[in-house]
Amino acid sequence: MTMLNNPQSTLFGGATDAVLSMRDVKVHYPVKEGLLQQVTGYVRAVDGVSLSIPRGQTLGLVGESGCGKTTLGRVISGLVAPTNGELWVDVTADDQREIDRLSALSPKEMGQADQATLKRLKESHLLGSMSREKQRQYRRNCQVVFQDAFSSLNPRQLVRDIVGRPLRVHREASGDELDEKVVELLEKVGLGRQHLLRYPHQFSGGQRQRISIARALALNPEFVVLDEPTSALDVSVQAQILNLLVELQKDMGLTYLFITHDLGVVQHMADSIAVMYLGQIAEFGPTADVFNNPLHPYTRILRDSNPTLEDDDKREKWDLSGTVPNPINPPRGCRLHPRCPVAKAECGWSVDDVLIDTERHAPVLFETITRVQRSSDFSARIEFDQAEPATQFATRVGQLSAHDALDKPVAVEGASVDMSFVEVSDAELAQMQEGRWSSCTRTQQIGALPELDSKKSQ
Amino acid sequence: MSDTTLLRVEDLSVHFRSSRGVAHAVDHVSFDIKPHETLALVGETGCGKSVTARSILRLVPEPPGEYASGAVFLRNADGSESDILSSSPKEVRAIRGDRISMIFQDPGKALNPGLTIGRQLAEVFGEHRLSMLFENAEMAGSKPSRLAQRVAQQRANAFQKLLFDVTSRGASKRLQKAIDESVMDALADTGIPNPRKIMQSYPHELSGGMKQRVMIAQALACDPDLLIADEPTTALDVTIQARILELIHQMQQRRGMAILYITHDLSLVREFADRVAVMYAGRIVEMGPSADVLASPQHPYTQGLLNAIPRAATPRGELAAIPGTVPQLIEPPAQCHFATRCEFASAACRSVVPVPLTTGPGRTVACHRFDCAESLGVPADDMPVAATVKGKPSR
Amino acid sequence: MSNSTATAGIDESNQSVMSVKWTRRKEVAREVFSNPLTVLGMVIIGAFFLMALLAPLLTEPNQPDAYQSPRDWANIDSPPGIDGHVLGTDSQGGDVLYGIIWGSRLSLQLSLTVVGFTLVFGAIIGSVAAMRGGRLDNFLMRLVDVFLSIPELIFALAIAAVLGPSFRNIILALAAVFWVKYARIIRGEIIRIKQAEYVAAARVTGDSTWNIYRKDVLPNAVTPLVVQATLDMGNVVLIGATLSFIGLAQAGLTEWGAMVSAGQSGLLAGEWWVSTFAGLAIVLWALAFNLVGDGLRDVLDPKTEGR
Repeated sequence: MTMLNNPQSTLFGGATDAVLSMRDVKVHYPVKEGLLQQVTGYVRAVDGVSLSIPRGQTLGLVGESGCGKTTLGRVISGLVAPTNGELWVDVTADDQREIDRLSALSPKEMGQADQATLKRLKESHLLGSMSREKQRQYRRNCQVVFQDAFSSLNPRQLVRDIVGRPLRVHREASGDELDEKVVELLEKVGLGRQHLLRYPHQFSGGQRQRISIARALALNPEFVVLDEPTSALDVSVQAQILNLLVELQKDMGLTYLFITHDLGVVQHMADSIAVMYLGQIAEFGPTADVFNNPLHPYTRILRDSNPTLEDDDKREKWDLSGTVPNPINPPRGCRLHPRCPVAKAECGWSVDDVLIDTERHAPVLFETITRVQRSSDFSARIEFDQAEPATQFATRVGQLSAHDALDKPVAVEGASVDMSFVEVSDAELAQMQEGRWSSCTRTQQIGALPELDSKKSQ
Repeated sequence: MSDTTLLRVEDLSVHFRSSRGVAHAVDHVSFDIKPHETLALVGETGCGKSVTARSILRLVPEPPGEYASGAVFLRNADGSESDILSSSPKEVRAIRGDRISMIFQDPGKALNPGLTIGRQLAEVFGEHRLSMLFENAEMAGSKPSRLAQRVAQQRANAFQKLLFDVTSRGASKRLQKAIDESVMDALADTGIPNPRKIMQSYPHELSGGMKQRVMIAQALACDPDLLIADEPTTALDVTIQARILELIHQMQQRRGMAILYITHDLSLVREFADRVAVMYAGRIVEMGPSADVLASPQHPYTQGLLNAIPRAATPRGELAAIPGTVPQLIEPPAQCHFATRCEFASAACRSVVPVPLTTGPGRTVACHRFDCAESLGVPADDMPVAATVKGKPSR
Repeated sequence: MSNSTATAGIDESNQSVMSVKWTRRKEVAREVFSNPLTVLGMVIIGAFFLMALLAPLLTEPNQPDAYQSPRDWANIDSPPGIDGHVLGTDSQGGDVLYGIIWGSRLSLQLSLTVVGFTLVFGAIIGSVAAMRGGRLDNFLMRLVDVFLSIPELIFALAIAAVLGPSFRNIILALAAVFWVKYARIIRGEIIRIKQAEYVAAARVTGDSTWNIYRKDVLPNAVTPLVVQATLDMGNVVLIGATLSFIGLAQAGLTEWGAMVSAGQSGLLAGEWWVSTFAGLAIVLWALAFNLVGDGLRDVLDPKTEGR
């Protein structure tokens, strides 16, 4: 790890003013089982995300289902409380640098002045330490447009009440004045006065999404979280809505967080993008750079899997093997390594990887395992019912790409196998170039995206 | 009409009765599919592509639907054709799954949540591959009893199964083994890594991609000549989508079947389809080899659709959105359905229904821009701006 | 933007808010009335309601207790049509028609009271459980489970028997048993609705939990409750009649169930009119509410709602 690797520093930290700066945000849902509802594990929906959302731009958040992007969106909009982490609101570039610096200091190293600065910063910008008034202000300033336009509008409320509700709740207007404001908002999104007294079911999908947008704009926010706003719409309607969003951004100086799984849309709409996988950010940078020159295998795979109308370059297409791992127990090291086409020894192979692989590809052998005695995630003694399967297993491990990661050779002792891998710490985001971050272990070592092996085992 | 065509849809119209009137979901649609080729049927919500696909297998519920006109001709082994829409229910059932098979958008809904995967597939094999099963179980020679047949088809109840097991232990074991092996082979064929485990699982225990593979295995169990895929990957992630489509493509090459591929995503069409038919408001507006149609679209709707797809290169805020909305299909007026949104629309477009015109080898387009005033019988002033290519009436 | 024409537009639209809401209600009503069975049910209910309300006008109320049939000792056990007794008399000379008419008042009283109470009480318990969740939800739902594990009739019977035979106790017994249904229904609905995005949207707006409950959750949750309440109007009378048939009401009460019971012994002797007419009244009442309830359910089904 040669690059600057400070887990506390945020992406974009210190580069521009941010509407929101998140540090090490985690959302872990407890899994309860049994009569007494014992907690047996945690679903790590979001597992350590540090990200700054630059003011006035569109930040794209991309990933497939289960990556945590929707949960992250909900944390930002206040619908879900994070289990861990800090959310700093409305911080300038200087403020962010200060926060970075102060957070890196241990309590002993902090002088009086530093402590005072930190306290001041916390009281004006940290969610949870700010005054109630300021928190309310942030909540007003951050609005959301949801994906499914039909279920995001109360079917029993008139458009007037739906769009006017934020104004009513925050007591900004009432009666006729309220109606006028609602008409203004409707006109801004391309609807009209005649739509005021209608019910959601009387509109088409695209129109409902416009109503949703009008509602989000009611309190004149600075920051709008768009959670898959066009995923449920036809292509031609999507184009209308995307154009509208761009226009509104220009007119009102909005900052967007655009969450989507559609690579075409995000390439078109976002200035910079963050790619998420299994609750963490895999790569980050300006949109064009990230797509043309990905620095993480997952980004490359996403790009290659995405069908396009462009003439694709004839470079080899990368793809993902296996299935999405269990979010309760994600792989050690780099989370992608069991499925990654360029994973090598240093990527974090562990006992579980081998066991899962055996279960999938050699199920008969897997059933002969009687016991697994773990001394850590990386080393264990596996016991079989006879000596023969034990030897088979050892041979098998020798053929996996994981075998390069072994600490010492696999030892077979009667009917049990001792296996020990090199302990690897979990992958972290590191800055590769100015404004470009990647969490791929190999990329960080090599300085560029690894090449695909022409001869691949497994 | 060449006699190498596998399926021929001719002048198909499907209407739905509703409280507001009769909706013309599919309006005089004609196309054909040759063996081994992939035809994509593309369009947005409500264009009628799904209804068309279901009509081929007569899956449209009647009422409220009705086949107002047209026929769906399937070529038989002896070279003759039979019209699926006028065949008896028994004949249609024989075709379903056997010669024409279908996979759906949401595999979760197509699989029975109460049965294990193994049992569901066993049923399919039992229905369609009885002779193969008996051969593999070495029972073909002795003409298997009714009971054995029922057990193989999974239609026997527990008592009957017990009876069979007790009275002919050997045969029962062999039969079960044959069934299990066919199911495992079918699953392994689709790239499922641990078929035995999957066979014992229930649908809710599988991921979306896995369920779709099971559905493909199920659909291909009897080697159909035509596979209808109705938006098979819309509900899946992009990385899984790529692999499922690869799989379908592989299966096609291995077994030589034709595919009718229903989708709203034009970029998928480019990668996987030989030919494409674009539908709008119940009609086919353009059809031809997919590379040609996507590279140089002729119908204004196709052009609009392609321009509306967001790309990195398009300046932000300038996506060419097609103005307006899809017209209601209830008692539609006799005109071009796209006229209300088309930049070239003229008087002729609003009074005469365009018919498909041939504009090149294998290419047709239904637009007055490719026609001339004389053949339409309208004054020249009423015609829209002519296109550079001239069309000839097809047929 | 505040010139007179703009405000005029708003005034118009203010008036038309009500007209918009009424238009929607008319649409729903039209759908409901399009089903002939539903209309039939409503007609029968209407007839019973009128009968109940106008009882003092239709017949001279008996003194001192109007709910005891006046005895015509000259005409005991007489078949219908004799001496002004349109539907005949029972073994104590009580007029059957009188019993039917005044019995309808009791039925109305019974059903409205029980359904009214159980609906509100059950809805409150269910709402609290669903909105709060966690241990409270767990506890309340286990309580509901206990109640539900006992068949309604047996439970009501047990309670009424313990409390002693009286009409009021029948009401109490039924109320104690029927509320759990509503709690369960509304809890299920609320949990489903809580997942909806429009509730999340309301939370982002910053609205209070009470407001969200009032504006977003409740209006969308009541539909199945309304259907169940309508059905229960019929069922309550049915079960109440059963209880008084067994003898848990006061003797001689002009309650349909009691009348069926009283006329039982005469059936073998060929004196059919008492039990039959009273039984018919019970059946018609329950049937009518079932028809209307089913009709409402078809119309208000969320799948057809919102088109």
